[in-house]
Amino acid sequence: MANAPLQGIKVVSFGTGGVIPDFGMILGSLGADVIKVECRENPDFMRTIGGDPENIPGFNESNRNKRGIGLNLKTEKGQEIAMRLVKLADIVGENLRGGVMKSLNLDYESVRKFRPDIIYISSNGYGGTGPYAEYQAYGPMLSAFSGLLSLWCHPTDPYPAGANVPLPDHYASKMLVLAALAALDYRRRTGKGQMVDMSQVEMAANMIGEYYLDYTINERVPQPIGNRSPYAAPYNAYRCKGNDEWCAISVFNDAEWQSFCRAIGSPHWTREAKYADLPSRLKNVEELDKHVEEWTLQHKSREVMMILQNAGVAAGVLYRPAEIIDDPQLGWLDAIVEVDHPVAGKRLYPGVPFHISDVTLPASRPAPLLGQHTEEICREVLKMSPEEISALRDEGVLEFSTRLQEPKK
Amino acid sequence: MAEHQEGALSAYRVLDLTDQKGAFCTKILADLGADVIKIERPQGDATRSIPPFAGDVPHLERSLYFLFRYANRRGVTLNLEVADGKKIFEKLVKKADVLVETFPPGYMAGLGLDYQALRKINPGLVMASITEFGQTGPYRDWKGSDIVNYAMSNTMITSGFGDGAPINLPGTPSCDAASLIAAISIVLSLYMRGGDGQGRYIDSSVHECSRTALYPWMLPMYSYNVNPGAPPPPPEGRLGVMIFPVYPCKDGFIRVVALTPRQWDGLVRVLGEPEVLKTPEWREFYYRIANAADLYALMLEYTAKLTMQELFEKGHEEGVPVVPIYTVEGFTNSPQTEARRFYSEMKHPILGKFKYPGPPYKWSATQCEAKRPAPTLGQHNEEVYGKELGLSKQDLAALRRAEVI
Repeated sequence: MANAPLQGIKVVSFGTGGVIPDFGMILGSLGADVIKVECRENPDFMRTIGGDPENIPGFNESNRNKRGIGLNLKTEKGQEIAMRLVKLADIVGENLRGGVMKSLNLDYESVRKFRPDIIYISSNGYGGTGPYAEYQAYGPMLSAFSGLLSLWCHPTDPYPAGANVPLPDHYASKMLVLAALAALDYRRRTGKGQMVDMSQVEMAANMIGEYYLDYTINERVPQPIGNRSPYAAPYNAYRCKGNDEWCAISVFNDAEWQSFCRAIGSPHWTREAKYADLPSRLKNVEELDKHVEEWTLQHKSREVMMILQNAGVAAGVLYRPAEIIDDPQLGWLDAIVEVDHPVAGKRLYPGVPFHISDVTLPASRPAPLLGQHTEEICREVLKMSPEEISALRDEGVLEFSTRLQEPKK
Repeated sequence: MAEHQEGALSAYRVLDLTDQKGAFCTKILADLGADVIKIERPQGDATRSIPPFAGDVPHLERSLYFLFRYANRRGVTLNLEVADGKKIFEKLVKKADVLVETFPPGYMAGLGLDYQALRKINPGLVMASITEFGQTGPYRDWKGSDIVNYAMSNTMITSGFGDGAPINLPGTPSCDAASLIAAISIVLSLYMRGGDGQGRYIDSSVHECSRTALYPWMLPMYSYNVNPGAPPPPPEGRLGVMIFPVYPCKDGFIRVVALTPRQWDGLVRVLGEPEVLKTPEWREFYYRIANAADLYALMLEYTAKLTMQELFEKGHEEGVPVVPIYTVEGFTNSPQTEARRFYSEMKHPILGKFKYPGPPYKWSATQCEAKRPAPTLGQHNEEVYGKELGLSKQDLAALRRAEVI
């Protein structure tokens, strides 16, 4: 088999939550050797929000394709070992609270003294500089700070609710993968490393940049429009037959409108002049939506989608995960992978959707248990002797998972 | 000199045949210095007609969408559907490193401009196609749109209030997800090309990429929940305001995310340690989710006494993340946004000077910033076709008359 694209690239990850864990997971899926640093006192916080720290779906998704070392960074020796790892690395990723890496003597300025060509990827809620650099934040708060959340609601809502989604975490992570690869390619050509300082709140802003221009050019504070579109109607999520079943439909131009009308059986209201062209449909959109929903309520959401897509009209079920698993297109694309995790067992995860000719990616590996690979990393990467390893274990610097030796419950 | 400083991708030229599906892909390559040439049909790209417009005047040069998404490019016009246009395109391909296109499956092949044909002209070419549902498969000819893509991402069903209609996410999030995966694939391919000299073809779809960027945890949460032993909350309801609660305060709303008991204790201190919040059960994250409505009723009295900024700062001091819910205006005028120099000044030939939102990261050794505004229609025809491809003034005039450019 050909080498994986990033074979030989070493990444040390001081990550927690969404952004840097997902960043490392993707680099790992491309064949990099990604080492995640954690310890029992300071684990990735995603391990702490459920019962069993080894059985958290979000953690086990974002930390696939990595090895884990249990290393206590509160100790001076722990920091020294981390620096030894970093010296051997091509890429460092961190999203600990602002200022923490500096307190551990692992910030960019400290690292570059030993590795001038390191690619150092740092991600903070509000960025690594400025008055809020040390403020802790999670994705859903950054979409709030950026103004994105203020637009993510129906105009009649008392306040924006957003979703369960930790936006923009998994966009920021991908932006940083792009950054790391561009920096790696630049280093290949010039020999120079560098630091990238990401502000996740600015990532959220980049998803809706045109709204900021409405403010800076038109001096207008953009208001939420809910599910409406200024240039399509029907355009909404419509209730369908069944419990909390919905289908999104969008009709942009007159040709699509004609197809839509035929597909739903050309009821008499579709021939009324007030729906004849887009400006009229936009003007009478409330009434139009009621008519459309009368039709959708008679069908299951999947039927609505099939009838309309077969007629050339964009329509899509508001999918739940079970429907994702059954989606024939995602099945065709092999979009879902099953990974066997030593504690969680065989579970489903979304694959990272790379389809590149002549590139075969290694099979996805399960997230590490806390301290699962401490010994092999110390032995193989850091070339420690067994005596050194056991001394550091006794001093509480190195931690090892004992989970796999425990009898199965 | 600052203006000659290079970006990490300055060595590369990218041909940009994108619509909304790929606009963010070529934008983030351009922000890193790639020379991106946006190629439009002579009558102008459809994305130039997306409202709203600068000054609310509908015009090809005034779409805010186009101005944001297509900044930092050079722009040429070209009709790919006629023989002379194809010839010019092939000349451009010869000198390019990357081509990004977002036409429906089979369109480029119909023109004889698919990867198999173009790699003969330029074996090192990295070509990326971004489609709605993929180049192949049962849904390859299906149609998408922002709301449809977001619906199928399996996250829209979680948007909004529990008893209300789910809400679309503003912007083009599903397209941006595909754009990110395509951009990563492109730079990875360039990196590999540095080793083996080979070009590559990339097939990305909005449908497949959307959930990996919006919420990759949904599927595993479901998969873990169907068997006993794991404790996640049911992932399918509209629980946003329970997991990430919003509370009114003196001058607006705040969002609070206390995940750990320590963070909850911090929040109680921020609010002046009211007895009603000191019941031990409230320290449990899942208990708070399950009793969110009761908690909301209790919290109001205390959050309403403070301003957004007071709660934000006190939260930081006490170790609990609290955040103001800003409008676009609040974000723009935040001292953080100013300190980061998030906005740069653009000078547009028609609109004059305006503040433009920059990329979300700073690079220490290479340049990463928005330098030039989105091109006006055909702005760089002479520069690209004349100076760089060597066409004469007469050639260009003839091509213009024949509506090839």
